[in-house]
Amino acid sequence: MTEADWSRWMAAAQNGDADAYRHVLGEASAWLRRYFQRRLPPSMVDDAVQDTLLAVHEKRHTFDPAQGFAPWIAAIARYKWIDRLRAMRRVDMTSLDDELPVMDHENAVTAAHALERLLTLLKPAQAEVIRLVKLQGFSIEEAARLTGQSAALVKVNIHRGLGRLSDVVMRGADVD
Amino acid sequence: MSTDPLIGRLTAELQPVRRQSPRRAALILAMLCITEIIVLLSLGWMRPDMPRAMGMPSFWWKTASLTVIMMIGATTTLRSLNPTRSPRPGLRALGYVVLAALAAGWMIDAAQVGPIVLWRRLDPVHGLRCARKIIELSLPVALALGVIVRRGASVDPRGTAWAAGSAAAAWGALAFVMACPFDDPLYVAVWYSLGCGVVSLVTRLALPWLTRW
Repeated sequence: MTEADWSRWMAAAQNGDADAYRHVLGEASAWLRRYFQRRLPPSMVDDAVQDTLLAVHEKRHTFDPAQGFAPWIAAIARYKWIDRLRAMRRVDMTSLDDELPVMDHENAVTAAHALERLLTLLKPAQAEVIRLVKLQGFSIEEAARLTGQSAALVKVNIHRGLGRLSDVVMRGADVD
Repeated sequence: MSTDPLIGRLTAELQPVRRQSPRRAALILAMLCITEIIVLLSLGWMRPDMPRAMGMPSFWWKTASLTVIMMIGATTTLRSLNPTRSPRPGLRALGYVVLAALAAGWMIDAAQVGPIVLWRRLDPVHGLRCARKIIELSLPVALALGVIVRRGASVDPRGTAWAAGSAAAAWGALAFVMACPFDDPLYVAVWYSLGCGVVSLVTRLALPWLTRW
């Protein structure tokens, strides 16, 4: 399967060809899963893939066959990734423990490793609490005890750190 | 979780779509601008001393600057509706053009002779009225750009919103040039910037929220 096939299918889908559309969404789904597994905690991957497929469907009229399918879907996936990073700021941090992955250890390690590389771009205090709370599953209070920061400061550092992370990614940083 | 049910649903819902075309969007905007000009002229908005104004460098300075800002803003907005294109280079160009326009205005201003009181030159009563008119005149293009941006797929909604706001604001000011009897570069730099700044800022704040996807 080449990128030219993907582009041809997507162009056909724009004209209403359902078979071509099923093919291209199936391929895109597999690609998106690999993409998000490298960039997000495993508990967020399924939602991110589905959200991106819906975006692909909603914005399929913006696909330009002259530019190719791969750059188009990569740009949408990146946008949704940034969206997820921002959404992590809004997640109720006390309930995160319930969402932590325990089933798929390999994916969790891959995502954590990829995010670790991005965390080096933040201030150490921000990176440390994001690592503890968002990647390792500690509560705010535990992270505060471990780092010596107050609970309020831990929340602020997570909020600002994730905000900066999404800005950094927006400007072009990636895990690859 | 499998995505098969979702793919099945999306495939079942599939309808042919008309491909996004920046040229078509530009044409719609151009027609809207022409319509707005025709409406303004038919309402008798043209300044009475237009022939004299057209002989003044400051008239051409504001007309040319606003035209360039509007063109760059609109082009940047429309290009950024494709997810693979970023509005950032266009925004950088806009920044340079605004700086160049203000510098050119300062040079034209420096050529003026005679002592003039700053407050009188600024004429805040008329100035605020001018700024308000610019905001009102930019609304049709701002709304049209909002609809166009909502249909597109910008991956930098804040950048696109800045570009769209700049384009709409520059258009509002450009349309107002026909009616505005003030050509003093200081007056134009202050009050036109205020009107354009308000439109750009409001668009920047509202558009990303309205066009979330």
